Amino acid sequence: MTISAERPTETAAGTTAPTGPRGVSWTNRPGWMSQHLGTALVLAFLGYLLGHWWGNHIAGNYAYINGASGQNSVADFLALLLMVVGWLVGIGALNYPIAKLFGREAVEEEPAKGLSRYFRYTLDHKVVGMQYVVGVLLFMFTGGLLAMAIRTELLNPTVHIFNPGTYIEIVSEHGTIMMMMATSIIVGPLGNYLVPLMIGSRRMAFPRIEAFSFWIFSAGYMVIFSALFFGGFPTGWTGYAPLQNQAGPGMISYLFGFAVIGMGMIAAGFNIAVTIVNYRAPGMTWSRVPMFVWSILATASLLTLATPVLFSAGLFGILDHVVLTSLYVNEHGGSSYLWENLFWFFGHPEVYIMALPGFGIVAEIVPVFTRKPLFAYKVAAAGMMGVALLSFFVWQHHLFQSGINPDMRPLFMLTTELISIPTGFIYLVGMGSLYKSKMRLEIPMLFSLALYFNFLIGGITGVFLSDVPVNVTVHGSFFVLSHFHYTIMGGLLFAFMAGLYYWLPKMTGYMMNKKLGLWHFWTMFIFFNLTFFPMFIIGLLGQPRRVFEYAHNLQGLNDFSSISAFCLGASFLLFFWNLMYSMIINPQKAPANPWDSLGLEWQTANPVPLYNFERIPVIVTEPYRYSEPGAPAYADFGGGGSGSGSSSSVSSSVEE
Amino acid sequence: MTDTYKDSLAPNATPEEREFEFRSHIGSIWTGGRLAIGVATFMYASLAFAYFYLRSSNNSHLWRIPGQLAPLYYGWTILICMLLMAGLGMYGHSRLRKGFTNDFQVAGWTGVALGVIALIFQVWELVVLPFYPGSSGYASTFVAFVVMNIMTIVFATYWLETAVARSLRMRKELGGTKPELSSAHTARSFRANVSSMSYYLGYVGIISIGFFLMFYVQ
Repeated sequence: MTISAERPTETAAGTTAPTGPRGVSWTNRPGWMSQHLGTALVLAFLGYLLGHWWGNHIAGNYAYINGASGQNSVADFLALLLMVVGWLVGIGALNYPIAKLFGREAVEEEPAKGLSRYFRYTLDHKVVGMQYVVGVLLFMFTGGLLAMAIRTELLNPTVHIFNPGTYIEIVSEHGTIMMMMATSIIVGPLGNYLVPLMIGSRRMAFPRIEAFSFWIFSAGYMVIFSALFFGGFPTGWTGYAPLQNQAGPGMISYLFGFAVIGMGMIAAGFNIAVTIVNYRAPGMTWSRVPMFVWSILATASLLTLATPVLFSAGLFGILDHVVLTSLYVNEHGGSSYLWENLFWFFGHPEVYIMALPGFGIVAEIVPVFTRKPLFAYKVAAAGMMGVALLSFFVWQHHLFQSGINPDMRPLFMLTTELISIPTGFIYLVGMGSLYKSKMRLEIPMLFSLALYFNFLIGGITGVFLSDVPVNVTVHGSFFVLSHFHYTIMGGLLFAFMAGLYYWLPKMTGYMMNKKLGLWHFWTMFIFFNLTFFPMFIIGLLGQPRRVFEYAHNLQGLNDFSSISAFCLGASFLLFFWNLMYSMIINPQKAPANPWDSLGLEWQTANPVPLYNFERIPVIVTEPYRYSEPGAPAYADFGGGGSGSGSSSSVSSSVEE
Repeated sequence: MTDTYKDSLAPNATPEEREFEFRSHIGSIWTGGRLAIGVATFMYASLAFAYFYLRSSNNSHLWRIPGQLAPLYYGWTILICMLLMAGLGMYGHSRLRKGFTNDFQVAGWTGVALGVIALIFQVWELVVLPFYPGSSGYASTFVAFVVMNIMTIVFATYWLETAVARSLRMRKELGGTKPELSSAHTARSFRANVSSMSYYLGYVGIISIGFFLMFYVQ
């Protein structure tokens, strides 16, 4: 592939919107006539009312639908369905799909300027990325508050703040919100923002699908959150039948919320996977793709292929509630194990949906701060794809204790242990990169190191748990709870923080305050471990999950864990304060390439132009040649630079 | 399912860059079409899993009440409509590749009409079902299949309809009424879209046969 580096004869505006066929514009109309978050909220509310009225109108007289509770499931479901439709109509997601029915073209509009663009349906991947940042932080904040409520309740084994029903509702909502947030926490904000920049593309393959993924994700959040107003759901985040079938209307919010967020996950994964496959810059062969992009590709593949099963599982559950099928009802020819199988067929790949991007982030950060190439690049890439593939063959280990044919246990024990091999590849690649390096302990690097520490504990306990005897012994205990918090929170969330501190200067143009960042890191790292490590012991001593009363002799450990959890919560407040302080109160302009990275994303101008690169870069070498003085730059911008300058060579100021 | 292709979004793109982005765009349509088939496959696979899982479990001996069967006439009508729609979509694509835009449009509109008929029958079938949705495992999975099939028919018909509707507006770019292939980017992009669509319709045809055999043949 040859792309001329010569500048075109016409003048370059860089950020001018393209001209195209004009049509009816909705998003740029002033005030109440335009489509934005406000109209979406209004139409969502009206849709909710309409759906409720409609459901009561068509099914209000059917005693067997209203059931003993008198709650009309049809009305509950239609209310949520039309709420989501109203939300999408209000934000403008359906404008173009409807116009297409008449063969009309997309209306090319001048992109909205200023803050208002973050409240609209936009086709700029960078704006969508920032929308996701705010969205997932809101998710996390809500889930975090619920976690504080859980730990408050567990301060005392007998004196209670909540009744048992409320407690399990809080636990369920916390788990569901956090798990759904976690599936998108990196792919959404960082994947959408950074992937085109890192592969040298000017755009996403399907920007409308990308924007749709965010707004449907937001709708899913509202649906899941609405369960709290319908009495919650008592099943935990796993939603097991037959309890699922016995639960009240909050269960519909759970099932429909999963289906809605599932649509968002499919859309996000679909768009990103297609973009990576097709829009890589010339010269970016598969052996030159940044490791973060590899991780996002593996994750996007899982999102696209595993999530439809979650969607189906949710659909079946909704049908059981709304039209009284019996897919999960044993007594009527269904099976509660059907849900378990479908749920975990998605649920276990989901674990890697959460883990892989985290490893992608640290694989990107470590070479920058050690000034060394990524150790065994190809092994890391193979590990990413190996984990993605194997993750489809391990789901039944979640059923060791709940229904699996005992003869099948060894097989799934084996597949589960097998997956630790490619996971080990990825981990050892990190260790190899750190080996004998002179590290710059900046905040992103600290968070990356913390990930390796935490994941070691989470990973090793995971290997124990894959063995049937241990699994049977500690099933449903705090040991399991601690294990998955170490992998998800200790791995993913620390990686997310590493990514935010590392890339926010690029995304916002401002540096995060280092002093506050250090406070945030150390408090988060220390109190994370003080919160969750005792839970291994608590679990081994026999305390079950999701139960608010426990043995008196465990109060000391529980109190220690709770107080540490409050401090952990406070560490997040430090982060939010740092965010506000660094972005609004005392913004410090970020240098063009503050970490001296060779990554393509740092070679564009700041702020990033609408079309990312003035010239499409040509990739000429491997991405991590930090330790080779005089090595050619990663990309050739044809001499024209990309806004802020041409690609850095490795002989940077940080080179030691 | 994509926009009509427009030259590079960047206002100052060089001709080489435009060509590069165009090839990426065509590749995206190809990849996206196949990935859409992957998404649908996993969705239908979960339904097939439910069918065989409940059938083999036969909990409470209620996989299927003796004699319980979905209305066969409806099943045949929907299947024939779907197969014809898929066939016409693929035929239209083959004609479009040879430059016969009119043939594509006629085949496309007929396919859309058949899709709408299939949709009406599929929805109406729920009204005339001779069994209660929760009466057995079979009845439950059948209702789930109907809902999933409605989504598939809507999606396939929508894709076909939007392609035909666009072809009417793009008559000039597609080469008018002459049987010739336009090499304009917009025309090549449109043909790539129709190509992906015809693959998807072919897939829908195969799925329709498979699930017809599962649900309508005792």
